[in-house]
Amino acid sequence: MRVLALIFITLCTALTPAIAAAQDAAELRRQIEQLQKQLQSVTDRLQRLEAQPPPTPTPAAAPGAAPPPPGAPPPSAIDLARPRQPFSLYQQRGSGQLLFDMGIAGDFVGNITQRNVARAGGGTFAGQENRFFPREVELSLFGQIDPYASAVVRIEAGEEGRGQETGVTLAEAYLTLLTLPFGTQARLGQVRNRFGWSNEVHEHDLPWVDRPNVMRNFLGREGLQEKGVELTLVPDLPFYIEALAGIFNETAFGRGTLQHPLVTGRLRTFFELGDEHAIQLGMSVASGQTDDRNRSTILGWEWRYKYRPDGWLHPLITLTGEALYSLRKADVGVDLDGDGTIDQVDKRQRNHWGWYTGLEVQPFRRWAGGVRYDWSQYPINPGWEWAIEPYVSFWPSEFLRFRLAYKHTDRSPQTRDAFNLNDSSARKVDELLFQASFILGAHPAHPF
Amino acid sequence: MRRTLLVLTAVLAALSLSLPGAHAERKLRVVATIPDLKSLTEAVGGDLVEVDSLTRGTQNFHEAEVRPSMMLKLRRADALIENGVELDTWADVAVTGANNANIIRGSAGRIEISRGIQLLEVPTTRVDRSMGDVHPLGNPHFSLDPGLAPIITQNIVDGLSRLAPDNRPAFEKNRQAFLQKLDGEMDRWTKLMEPVRGGKVVVYHPDFIYLLTRFGLVQVGTLEDRPGIPPSPQHLVQIIRQMKAEQVKVILVEPWNDLKLAERVAAEVGGAKALVMANSVGAVKGADNYIAAIDYNLKTLAQVLK
Repeated sequence: MRVLALIFITLCTALTPAIAAAQDAAELRRQIEQLQKQLQSVTDRLQRLEAQPPPTPTPAAAPGAAPPPPGAPPPSAIDLARPRQPFSLYQQRGSGQLLFDMGIAGDFVGNITQRNVARAGGGTFAGQENRFFPREVELSLFGQIDPYASAVVRIEAGEEGRGQETGVTLAEAYLTLLTLPFGTQARLGQVRNRFGWSNEVHEHDLPWVDRPNVMRNFLGREGLQEKGVELTLVPDLPFYIEALAGIFNETAFGRGTLQHPLVTGRLRTFFELGDEHAIQLGMSVASGQTDDRNRSTILGWEWRYKYRPDGWLHPLITLTGEALYSLRKADVGVDLDGDGTIDQVDKRQRNHWGWYTGLEVQPFRRWAGGVRYDWSQYPINPGWEWAIEPYVSFWPSEFLRFRLAYKHTDRSPQTRDAFNLNDSSARKVDELLFQASFILGAHPAHPF
Repeated sequence: MRRTLLVLTAVLAALSLSLPGAHAERKLRVVATIPDLKSLTEAVGGDLVEVDSLTRGTQNFHEAEVRPSMMLKLRRADALIENGVELDTWADVAVTGANNANIIRGSAGRIEISRGIQLLEVPTTRVDRSMGDVHPLGNPHFSLDPGLAPIITQNIVDGLSRLAPDNRPAFEKNRQAFLQKLDGEMDRWTKLMEPVRGGKVVVYHPDFIYLLTRFGLVQVGTLEDRPGIPPSPQHLVQIIRQMKAEQVKVILVEPWNDLKLAERVAAEVGGAKALVMANSVGAVKGADNYIAAIDYNLKTLAQVLK
């Protein structure tokens, strides 16, 4: 009996861990199987989710949120005036990101010219002859304000003259109303006026080192930059045409109030001749009052042609040109009796004009060469000038560009007094121009 | 007087017929930024849509020139289908010039097809322009990966259905038919590419990473020094050395890139070939639609890598 008890105790002692181990193993197997099932379930779910696009978020639709399906009756004026709920805002903006774009464009220029030209202040960069300086360093902020409007703010810094502090100015600040009906759009604020092709192009984006002479002579060194409203219309036609009308407190012409506004207009059209050739044509008008309350009107014509062989990353040939015609009344003193004193002031018509055209050839992605020819009268003074400017541009990358140019300007003898300062003459000017431009951060694509 | 009334009535009748909305079943006017999306939208939209593309297959989509002709196409559009991921940001400038509220950012007619796409080559470190024209959000050239077509077409269906909810069943039916066809092609393509799985290629610009990854091919380098930066001589020497060491026999080139340079590199490697690929629908002859473009690329790769 004692032996049996001993055997029983021994067996119990030996088997208990084995039974326990067997129970543990069974439990573990069960748990593993359970985990495998869970894993399989998660894997299946993941695969299903991956196979399907994520559901499109559909925010609660406000009344009138969805646009009418095709075929529905056209919206009434009240429908159009009612604010529309956006479907969704820009998707790519994550947390911690700005809700607008920001970029900096830097433009540095240098010029070398004759000493007499520098003394007379008659170079392309008057007062900055034989210097290298930051012409324009521009901070641009742009983006959507809300679903109905976008905004652009550009702040510029640049050296205005020799020995002067670098000035900071508001170059542009405007909002564009994007959801106006009937193919219209409004731009309000301080803008570079869309007058001709080159006026709205910033210095660093121009295809030349300097603005064409005719544009500087008739619109000022900085071009036409005004505060007001521009309305554009792109009618629903089989061909492209954009009509623009603007009203501004004019400062370029003189008076600077809305009681005597600067009124502008532009018509622009575009043709493609096959896939490789494209032509843009336009005409503009700007009319305002001068300080002496005389009407001044400038008419402009523009043309731009590009030949871009199929598959090329850049155009091979670009031809650009503009012509301006100024109709201006000026007060002229008249000596009626020949005694050397002015007896009365007459209003005389002064119609002057000028033009330029530029050809650029870009056979390689990084290199381009071109030439620009300018001919221009002066808006008020008698005389004229012509200039020729060959140049070469080099882009190490899309965001960096260097340009070297030579410019010869020849002014007519009547202009002798105007360019005769400090006993020096700037009637014939030879200049070597250099430009370095860069873009840091965001920069919107350039229009044609 | 009667004649005048008759003429007036005729003019009014003609005008009313030409007014938008006069035709109850007007097709949706859709514009796509790139031809791949045009082809997919045509497949999904069928007879219910008219589709146009802002660019051609032979163009570099990163640097498309914004022409007023784009604005003309967009002026009348009900929807704009864009790739997103910074491939076609220039479309914003064209849209602004088109004066069409239907397609401005945030409107129902603006359809971005990158939603839900698992992007490749997403930078994991800080990026700046010293790395070239990098895309901080990831590689945007995913549209010609057939494995992503279900997501892209779903995004298109969702977008078009916002504008024409009644047509959703028709769009979905078209989509299913297209995907069924694509599935059939996918089986064929998988068999075609199986023997060359693991094959190594060099690309000029990283346009093909999605397609290569899908079919198990390996991109060992790019001819471009960095994205968008033309190759430097030092980089070319390095890539030639690498191609020789890894026995890479093919350089894939987009129609808009420098084929002659790629051919010179291939000749320097010895026994290698530079091939113009369909980086988009319409990029080469025979790649006239979505399936044809993928088919062209895979047949070319299978032949050269075997």
